[in-house]
Amino acid sequence: MKRRGRGIGCMWYPIGFTVAANPSAATVKVNEDGTATLLTGTVETGQGALTVLAQIAAQALGIATDDVHVVSADTDATPMDTGAIASRTTYVTGNAVRLAAENARTILFEAAADLLRVKPGQLEAKDRKIQVKGYPQRCVDIADIAGHAQTKLGQPPIGTASWNPPTVAMDPETGQGQPFSTYVYATQIAEVDVDDETGEVEIVRIVAAHDCGTAINPMLVEGQVEGGIAMGIGYALQEEILFDDKGRQVNPNLTNYIMPTSLDVPDIDVSIVSNTDPTGPFGAKGVGEPTSVPTAAAILNAIHDAVGVRVHSLPATAEKVLAAIKAKRAAEQRQIAG
Amino acid sequence: MTDIAITVNGELRKASVPSETTLLQLLRDNFQLTGAKLGCDVGDCGACTVIVDGAAVNACLMLAVQAEGRDIITIEGLANRQVFHPLQQAFEESGALQCGFCGPGVILSAKALLDENPDPDVYEIRDALAGNLCRCTGYTKMIEAVQNAARILRGEPEISSRMISR
Repeated sequence: MKRRGRGIGCMWYPIGFTVAANPSAATVKVNEDGTATLLTGTVETGQGALTVLAQIAAQALGIATDDVHVVSADTDATPMDTGAIASRTTYVTGNAVRLAAENARTILFEAAADLLRVKPGQLEAKDRKIQVKGYPQRCVDIADIAGHAQTKLGQPPIGTASWNPPTVAMDPETGQGQPFSTYVYATQIAEVDVDDETGEVEIVRIVAAHDCGTAINPMLVEGQVEGGIAMGIGYALQEEILFDDKGRQVNPNLTNYIMPTSLDVPDIDVSIVSNTDPTGPFGAKGVGEPTSVPTAAAILNAIHDAVGVRVHSLPATAEKVLAAIKAKRAAEQRQIAG
Repeated sequence: MTDIAITVNGELRKASVPSETTLLQLLRDNFQLTGAKLGCDVGDCGACTVIVDGAAVNACLMLAVQAEGRDIITIEGLANRQVFHPLQQAFEESGALQCGFCGPGVILSAKALLDENPDPDVYEIRDALAGNLCRCTGYTKMIEAVQNAARILRGEPEISSRMISR
């Protein structure tokens, strides 16, 4: 019969390694039509990194995300980036983008202070305008200020910056130190049905709570969490590269390397835990890789809750789960007999 | 060489191809319709899905000659220069695609479903997409998007994906 169980998996994950140089650089150029161009070396692979970076630049400049044109991943034209790796783009590249946009904004503030006859420190960038704090009606359009800075002051509003999570060597004696700049945390709960006659595991539901600092784009964060959980399900129950005795893969295609389909991934309920990290751009940390870390632990704990067995080798296929159930029954029989 | 005449996205197209040519090769190499993707080439991944006479088909497993006289819809046939198809619109608004490689196939599998069944439940949507592997999204937002597109196609008011997921 089918037995229901629930399990919890928790994790922390490091963001922004510091044991070696880990820089990103960015250039932000404010154009005379009030739009901005962002140059970044990082690569979009579908996770939405360029959208998030455009949002960060837009927030710093007081313009709309759609106003930011992103030029990326062209080593001829874009500044250096360590890479779309290690769940670092929002945090490390995001900090570089924020600083570059702020440097461009400083020029806009100086030009606007000239026109509005106030000090640059009294200004803020908002709604595509540079305005006096507390007196939003005293303002000029960013488009006009960009032109003024360029043609009257001779200072085009262009900002460039790089950011490197401060590199800290580990203590050679103790191996201790601060290997990463910040950390994210998550808990996932899996609810499963285990058929105790076949060992088959069906995942009913997964609930996931993730702290990623400020969620700059909650829809993209959810997408990362949902995708990571699907990978975690494959890791827990399905995916395994099998080799023959010559080291050749015997399941080199998707007919026999089994990964989750739409029928294997259950309803996923994502909670984004509100948090802010003072070292990240607008409080953001990261979300990519951590999303698939706790899933298998939660599922294996749920299997234990359902049928009382621990499977210690992944994937927990029906054969392994059934063998564990049979071994447990046999041990119980021996106990009764003895 | 074999002469083939098929209707692709409402237009009669002709080609002369070796008889072992697959429908996918015909579409991509002869007609330059590269929306259908070459993924596994053995019918496992669904990236090459197109609609043949109303049914979602792996174009890598169908010979071009088998498509003779049939009516094919590819992803290029959904949008025009002015508007997206409601499925494409819903996929964009829900953030239902990440890398996007599986996208044309997923959207055409969903279209074949909705053409047949305008009000599918979640299980029917999951079942219709089960032949389209996606490594990025966990399918969650795709299912929301198909539900949303179905509502739009039925003429019902749109519900935002954020409301559905809560």
